[in-house]
Amino acid sequence: MKIAATVLAILALLGAPLLTANPFVLHLLILTLWAALLGAAWNLLGGYAGQVSFGHAAYLGVGAYATMILHLRVGWSPWLALLAGGVLAAVFAGPIGWICFRLRGPYFSLATLAVAEITRLVALNWESLTAGPMGLLVTTLPPLTIFGAPVNWESKAPFYYVILALSALVTLTTWHVARSRLGAFLLAVREDLDSAEAAGIDTVRTRVLALVLSAFFVGAAGGFYAIYYRYIDPDAVFTISLSVEMVFVPVVGGIATTWGPIVGAVFLTTIGEVFRDRFQSGHLIFYGFFMMIVIRYLPEGIWGRLSQWWAKRSATAAPRTRRGTANGKSPSPTPSP
Amino acid sequence: METFIQSLVSGVLTGALYAMIAMGLTVVFGVMRIINMAHGEMVMLGMFGAWWAQKSWGLDPFVSILVWTPAMFALGLAIHRFLLRKIMPGGELNVLLYTAGLSLLIANLALLAFSGDYRTISLPYALRPMRPFGIAVPIPLAIAFGIALALTTALWAFLTRTDTGRAIRATAQNPESAALMGVNVPRIESLTFALGTALAGAAGVLLAPSLYLYPTVGEILSVKCFVIVVLGGLGSIPGAIVGGILLSVVESLGAVYVSVAWKDAIGFVLFLLVLLFRPGGIWGVARA
Repeated sequence: MKIAATVLAILALLGAPLLTANPFVLHLLILTLWAALLGAAWNLLGGYAGQVSFGHAAYLGVGAYATMILHLRVGWSPWLALLAGGVLAAVFAGPIGWICFRLRGPYFSLATLAVAEITRLVALNWESLTAGPMGLLVTTLPPLTIFGAPVNWESKAPFYYVILALSALVTLTTWHVARSRLGAFLLAVREDLDSAEAAGIDTVRTRVLALVLSAFFVGAAGGFYAIYYRYIDPDAVFTISLSVEMVFVPVVGGIATTWGPIVGAVFLTTIGEVFRDRFQSGHLIFYGFFMMIVIRYLPEGIWGRLSQWWAKRSATAAPRTRRGTANGKSPSPTPSP
Repeated sequence: METFIQSLVSGVLTGALYAMIAMGLTVVFGVMRIINMAHGEMVMLGMFGAWWAQKSWGLDPFVSILVWTPAMFALGLAIHRFLLRKIMPGGELNVLLYTAGLSLLIANLALLAFSGDYRTISLPYALRPMRPFGIAVPIPLAIAFGIALALTTALWAFLTRTDTGRAIRATAQNPESAALMGVNVPRIESLTFALGTALAGAAGVLLAPSLYLYPTVGEILSVKCFVIVVLGGLGSIPGAIVGGILLSVVESLGAVYVSVAWKDAIGFVLFLLVLLFRPGGIWGVARA
């Protein structure tokens, strides 16, 4: 039953571009998967390690600019440049983590905000590299053939598969990390930094590792943004509101859970899109409002609440259900060491 | 030399207003241990209040501050009573995220109401600056500085000389002991939050004639404010004053001696340097 549902879901995701010819539906799916990718990446650091970053737009922007510059100036293929964007964002995150992880709790959050602002200002003012406020534009993407078939850049399908692959990768990574030794370390760091330190965990290294992993995926998401929209400027990829939106996705879905960011992304993107149509910046008004409602009434998030409810239900109906309900039960997943 | 003194003076003048905003944030942090991500939006509301009062009532911002400060105080009471109080037991992370949501909500509602245009408030007496000792001092900024100074002194007197002020400081030091000494801690928290909001709103009104107004201005002000309080040590009022003036002077000198484009970045770099070498803030009081 569960396996059948999973197979069906995977088939549906893979077949989506074949099932619908409507570009808007596909665009919405891409936006949802993109938000899920960002949310899941943030969740690695903010959820599992409990280090709330309000500056992840820095990595998104670095990834986006690296992709664009490598493609435009160096002439790399866009998809290779996208991966390089992720790697560069991860490399960039290393020293930043090393500096910012001297701080704890809210101090850390504030420091990340400052870092994101510095990178935005650098992108804005380093005009020889980034073209400053004018932004970077790529008009045509180079032709590409996969298994002999040329990729149609005007269709949304190739973008859909790339973002699907990236989201699948980040979900698998999260799933794996939550069950790994690193996951146990992160949990220890989140629950009590001093105890973790006393237990012999190199907490700075652990947190930097989580940040680097997180930054890689956010950077790749930035690269995707650049190729998908074919235009970036500092105000598009470095804004604080982007950092904040990234936080909302896992919080709404269920912080420190594997599936929460996906659920959160579906909710925020689809409903946000409805509001965006109605009035100017309607989706942001909705995000802010929804965030407040969720924290007030559903602090464990939608997926968190669902999986708790499901666990309770299957516990009462014990004999009939099989083992294992949901992955990464929230709000405190207990990864096996 | 004259350029140096000139930029030093304008740095100090603006710094007093930064300090006022930061004091609001730091007082709230001291008592409630929360960081209000929507603090910059309170400044924005004050700025738009000043603009609106001038446009529809013809009131000078330095007159309408008499209206907006109590109004922002009331808004702070309402936010604490109806929104924050229910969230506070959930821990500092939840409050951080909650106020981030509030900040997004307020900024974008303002965007809907006022549109994203840049606005200015023009005052008849602002056309020519004063020139004491050959240094140009914009008159609105000088008046704002004077009022900020008066308000800061009044706040300091309130916190050190009155029973309520002492209760606020006692709660900041230790809420449990304060409660045991008969301090009504929930009331003090509510009062402090309203005070912080009123300070931010009043600073917004004072800044309005000297800055561009737009609905998302709160974002950058929040970030600057965070830099200031970390520089000065979260929860420390003298720290907020010193940090505010320091940041503003550095920005002002940076604009002259480095470049206008980079002036905002200099403040942040200073911030990171302080984090690196003095993670407890320049006063060393932060619990880093």
